[in-house]
Amino acid sequence: MNEMKRPPVPPIGLTAKHPEIGTGPVDTRIYHDPEVYTKEIEAIFKRSWFMIGRVEQIPNAGDFFTYVLPTFRLEVLIVRDRDGEVNAFHNVCTHRGNLAEHRSEGRCSGLFMCRFHGWSYDLKGNLVRVRDEEGFFDLDKSQLGLKRVPIGIWEGFIFVSPVDEPAQSLEDYLGEQGRDTAGYPWGACTQSYQLEVEIQANWKLVVDSPSEVYHIPVLHPTSAAPTMMASGNPMGRLLDSQIKGLHRTNSHYSVMAEPKPVQKLAYFHAAAAQNVAQTDRGYEFPVGINPTRSDFWTVDLIVFFPTLQFTLSAHMYTAHQVWPLGPNRSLYQQRVFVRPARTAAERFGQENSMVEYRDVVMEDFSTLERIQRACDTGRIKQFHFHDHELALRHQHKVVTDILDDYDREAAKA
Amino acid sequence: MSALLPEGFAVAEPFVADWVLPDAAARMAKRQASNLAELQSFYDMMLPLGEAALAWLRGYELGDLPEEGERLLKLMLMLAEVAPAVEWYNGPRVTDGFPIERVRYLRQIPDNAPQI
Repeated sequence: MNEMKRPPVPPIGLTAKHPEIGTGPVDTRIYHDPEVYTKEIEAIFKRSWFMIGRVEQIPNAGDFFTYVLPTFRLEVLIVRDRDGEVNAFHNVCTHRGNLAEHRSEGRCSGLFMCRFHGWSYDLKGNLVRVRDEEGFFDLDKSQLGLKRVPIGIWEGFIFVSPVDEPAQSLEDYLGEQGRDTAGYPWGACTQSYQLEVEIQANWKLVVDSPSEVYHIPVLHPTSAAPTMMASGNPMGRLLDSQIKGLHRTNSHYSVMAEPKPVQKLAYFHAAAAQNVAQTDRGYEFPVGINPTRSDFWTVDLIVFFPTLQFTLSAHMYTAHQVWPLGPNRSLYQQRVFVRPARTAAERFGQENSMVEYRDVVMEDFSTLERIQRACDTGRIKQFHFHDHELALRHQHKVVTDILDDYDREAAKA
Repeated sequence: MSALLPEGFAVAEPFVADWVLPDAAARMAKRQASNLAELQSFYDMMLPLGEAALAWLRGYELGDLPEEGERLLKLMLMLAEVAPAVEWYNGPRVTDGFPIERVRYLRQIPDNAPQI
């Protein structure tokens, strides 16, 4: 950050760059209507890809983890085979449907054995052992391997598709947003905290929560406001909001404020993971990160529609995922990725970043179930978005357009 | 007699029994179960030791800490958990926040395992 420059006040005018999105009030029906939700699962979620982990979790042959995609209740087993390939399987034994691998992670010596009757599968999912096989009738083992789940890897993130035949490739799904943010040192942040919480709110409200900073001075008066509104930006506006097809990015303004005492310890005596502005990064940003190349940048919110968002700064990032469970229920999962600590002092920096971030998110989420209850009454019919709430307006537009297309296709059929 | 903490940190020894906890989830629960006066007294004791503690901890790679050093690290990690309560919220809970007891940790960074 250049101390000599006077911080500019970010202007109004983000929405005007996207006339197709409009400026009027929006209909709140999509935030609570069960019929909308049912269509969203078909028209949006079954056509998307979902991040479920990173390649660093399974560095060696036989390393595996299992994961349940909450929205789809789809159990997957991710394993690295002896050729170094990462495979995704439906984690279900083809004999009678028990879990093929019951552990959440580990290293497999070569065979995954179902703990029901002992059918066993190799690292490529082939069914290689059926106990007391002579008791079966014309069993064709070659057809009874673990069912493959479509998988793709982007920048070390493992994505899977919830349907057997994805509507689009992972590359097409990620699109321009994926191309513009590739090259960030995603893999350098090898350490992670993960937490989850079920929220009685529609998935779009949860996605909206970090998607605007109009609320910063009011909702985060002691935590985030001192840096994110500060002297040059009294209304706490964004630097920019960029739209890339279905995806979008918010770039956040920030100036260095006086850190609180424990922050000072973390930032100046225990640097391992920091969320504050730094000029000496040691790498070049890809074009999609700090896209305006502002000296007053600290954080981008990088959104992959529908429900994967990264809050990303120069040296750490947080992945937010929202899994719809119903029209007014979601599971929120947060993974805070930080650089590895060498010394015990740096370990303190990691913990400080996690705690700060978690508490700020608890501030954000305070509003969600209240908004949902209001929507569920059906008595609040419209929301009114500020210019710097463009991301919310964009999400509303994207969802509404997709649902309209879906209805038109259904009418034709 | 073996000291609970490294030399120079004896003032924190009375806090070891209650404020050295196994992991981040336990630290979060400890903060939520404490009142402001308890959090404040821990904070007021620990903060002035912060720079010296980090200077001491900087001399050890993770995984190589002696037991008394690991306790000192865990007191510092507890300070990170307590800080927002004292500095931001004036109480254990996020002001008007989401009910944090509904949060479940799925993965934590071990306090004293090598990361590199």
